[in-house]
Amino acid sequence: MLLDLSEEHKEHLAFLPQVDSSVVAEFGRIAVEFLRRGSNPKIYDGAARKLNVSRDTVQHGVEGLTYLLTESSKLMISELDFQDSIFVLGFSEELNKLLLQLYLDNRKEIRTILSELAPDFPSYHSLEWRLDVQLASRSLRQQIKPSVTIKLHLNQNGDRNTQVLQTDPATLLHLVQQLEQALEEMKTNHCRRVVRNIK
Amino acid sequence: MELSEYVQKGFQMLADPGSFDSNAFTLLLRAAFQSLLDAQADEAVLDHPDLKHIDPLVLKHCHAAVATYILEAAKQRADKSTLSTYLEDSKFDRERTELFCTEYQNNKDSLEILLGSIGRSLPHITDVSWRLEYQIKNTDPRSHPEISFSCNMEQLQDLVGKLKDASKSLERATQL
Repeated sequence: MLLDLSEEHKEHLAFLPQVDSSVVAEFGRIAVEFLRRGSNPKIYDGAARKLNVSRDTVQHGVEGLTYLLTESSKLMISELDFQDSIFVLGFSEELNKLLLQLYLDNRKEIRTILSELAPDFPSYHSLEWRLDVQLASRSLRQQIKPSVTIKLHLNQNGDRNTQVLQTDPATLLHLVQQLEQALEEMKTNHCRRVVRNIK
Repeated sequence: MELSEYVQKGFQMLADPGSFDSNAFTLLLRAAFQSLLDAQADEAVLDHPDLKHIDPLVLKHCHAAVATYILEAAKQRADKSTLSTYLEDSKFDRERTELFCTEYQNNKDSLEILLGSIGRSLPHITDVSWRLEYQIKNTDPRSHPEISFSCNMEQLQDLVGKLKDASKSLERATQL
């Protein structure tokens, strides 16, 4: 699978052949460091001064490189595909080799970082409940309206997420019945077989 | 139950056989209940040929008065004697009082449901769907508009256990 590089992306990367390969290697190091720790804009200023170019040029160069590395790592493209993808940039063979090496050296770590960044599905943590009876409202006096208030605690991305919900007695019994069916289903031969045989 | 002069005046007009004959009275009474309970009802509810001879302003006044009274009575859970007292004070004859009380009794439950449904509440659970998934590998999670969450066997047992506690508590409360 080849990477599809946008015109803007190619423009940003066009800066790389204009500097020493040691600088490109340094940019690569900065890019991965930014992925690990977050970006530090001051670094761009320092580099811009040393290389005698605008800060924007440096920033785009690093960002372009970062994006190249993350996209490649995310898709886990092969060496050959990586080389073919950057071939369109028209860089020197030396630079191409350097970029490939950067990719191969860092892709495992980049994938780990990316997986930590991806939002995950909320998962159940716990549940609190409370029985309430509404006795009256502004619109109607002398009521007996039972309800069950539920505080659902979910985990998402390591954070606790809380939902406060309500239901009526009939629906509560329905919920219990439905979810007990789910538990029952887990005990069937079919499910047991799947769980046993697919590891 | 405190009612405004406007309502009292409306009832006094409604009591007068000179302004409303039996038929017109019954029609207006039914129109008032219909306006409140029928979601599709509109002003046309007063467009009956047997009401044409009555001054539209009077019609509207009485219609509004009756509707107001009905809502207040339903809200306060007024009993038959409260209704009768008010109607007799408004100079309703025996027949009209009986008719009013009967109509009210017939529509009382619907009115209470209507009034009871007005108000704010927390998001209300209406149903649940579940899916058993054996995770072989991680795929990209998708976002769901409703509340969705995953749980393993233990967590599901915990969730069901807690909901069962709640329903047992509910059962006990109804037996008190």
